[in-house]
Amino acid sequence: MSEMTPRQRVLAAIEHREPDRVPIVLGASNATGIKAKPYRELKEMLGVSAPDEYLYDWPELGTAALDETTLTRLGADVRGVLDLEPAWVLERNAHRPPHSDYLNSWGSGAREIRPGEWFPMVCPLAGATTIEEIDDYPWPDMEDPSRVGHVAAQAADLANDGRYAIMATPWLLFPLERAFAMQGMDTFLMNLALYPDFAEALLWRIQGLCKTLMGHFLDALGENVDIIKIGDDLGTQESLLMSPAMYRRILKPIHADYIDFIKHRTKAKVFFHTDGDVFPLIDDFVEMGVDILNPIQTSAGKMANLVEIKARWGDRLTFCGAIDTHRILPAGTPDEVRDEVRRVIGIMAPGGGYMVSSVHTVMDDVPARNILAMVDAVEEFGRYPATGTG
Amino acid sequence: MSARDDILDRLYRHVLDGHAEKAVTVAREGLATGVEPTALLFDAMIPALEEVGRLFETGEVFLPEMLVSAHAMQTVMDLIRPLIVAAGVDTIGRFVMGTVAGDIHDVGKKLVMVMLEGAGFEVIDLGINVPGDRFVEAIHDLQPDVVGMSAFLTTTVPEFGRTIELIDRAGLRDQVKILIGGAPVNQLTVDSVGADGFAPDASSAVRVTKQVLGIG
Repeated sequence: MSEMTPRQRVLAAIEHREPDRVPIVLGASNATGIKAKPYRELKEMLGVSAPDEYLYDWPELGTAALDETTLTRLGADVRGVLDLEPAWVLERNAHRPPHSDYLNSWGSGAREIRPGEWFPMVCPLAGATTIEEIDDYPWPDMEDPSRVGHVAAQAADLANDGRYAIMATPWLLFPLERAFAMQGMDTFLMNLALYPDFAEALLWRIQGLCKTLMGHFLDALGENVDIIKIGDDLGTQESLLMSPAMYRRILKPIHADYIDFIKHRTKAKVFFHTDGDVFPLIDDFVEMGVDILNPIQTSAGKMANLVEIKARWGDRLTFCGAIDTHRILPAGTPDEVRDEVRRVIGIMAPGGGYMVSSVHTVMDDVPARNILAMVDAVEEFGRYPATGTG
Repeated sequence: MSARDDILDRLYRHVLDGHAEKAVTVAREGLATGVEPTALLFDAMIPALEEVGRLFETGEVFLPEMLVSAHAMQTVMDLIRPLIVAAGVDTIGRFVMGTVAGDIHDVGKKLVMVMLEGAGFEVIDLGINVPGDRFVEAIHDLQPDVVGMSAFLTTTVPEFGRTIELIDRAGLRDQVKILIGGAPVNQLTVDSVGADGFAPDASSAVRVTKQVLGIG
């Protein structure tokens, strides 16, 4: 098959046609991104001298904005467009006392527990259990033009260039994750059980804000976008975070409403990120209109059953991810990484509908040689036809 | 049903349903009418928590329900713990628990602690982001039977090994059993860091702990 452009490759895969090779999604968003430490190691190995830059201009998140030379070497077929926190928040955080809490426009934020290691631990609604407390909270202004002021030009540049698929990811416009950020994960999970009316109201309030910003973001993108990334982590290592019944009663209508909102405004495909074992909800995702499911966490419960996942949903969903970050990428040898990529491609790639990515962010414990082994194995085994046979 | 059985039954149901305030109210009612604190624990709350654990394992309840049950039990425990201690009831072992350095995740750890306390262990929480030398200090000062370490991230799993090495160097390794837990943990982790075991979830933590101590 003749060589496709990266964008043609991605679009073919999403449309369940076999491209020239399996697409690679790396670097375009946090969940498909690479942390600063492995990125530095990569640059050193590749002799690249680009500066350290961060997604969302957010050093505390620690996920690298990869330079173009590195992206090209990785064979990355997708380029990202992101939003920003309002200019006043970026300014405030750039000039706050060193090592003090990082607060975003929602009032939630991260604390440095060891030098350079930040965790989302500042939860401004931790004690709230009433609708009044939701109403009284100073919610962020989603009309601030500096959030998306750069988006139109950036997306237009990528579209004019035309080579790469464009994936847009406004930061954490995920209702459940935002509720966790506002209350703390265990607190909000308990409120789902104890005060479902409150929990549902909080989710819908957050959803309204997410939709407002998403609307502005989509307006700025116009036609210049192929994939919109949203999601919510719904799985644990063994099972779901909440019962299917609770998901369907409380959260699914919110996700469905959100996806509906997006699909009425853009032709872009909906990329849904959800960690853990979400196997029992995959039919729900299809029903809601999810096009691309990520990250297929093979280390979690039934998500290891790639053959069954491909057989049952492969005609309706494109899968992105499935390269293990619990063991293979951090602890495997390059040969083991190569074997795993070959195995996964052999199952997931036939007929299109699969894009290689690490299961969530490539963390500090992943050696750069394994990142290269992953993408080189895609080149080696991911060529169509005869995918996976080398 | 006798008044005593009625109280135990209601306490059982409130813990099962995760209603902390109602559970405390009925526990107070029990104490006021002469129900022993150990009966509240052993005849109502532990069976309730065991039932929640069973329902969790069979996929009938999930984290939210388990967390509220654990919270309800913990709230009542805050009320009756001093009474149980004063009554001189023996614990079956002392368990020191912490999330390792560089990690702040503690949802699973909290559940494990409640399960262990419910099973009769004395549980001491060192908190989150606990440096290795703090574990060493705790073993030295508190003389626990078991140390539990939790890590949620692959990047903090190496802290298990580092901490165990510190415990070893302090000459304390033989004094304690060391259990580990957290999302990326499996038997390979246990073997590579030199721990004594792991529990894949909160409801199996008690069984594993008893196993390594050779009790129950």
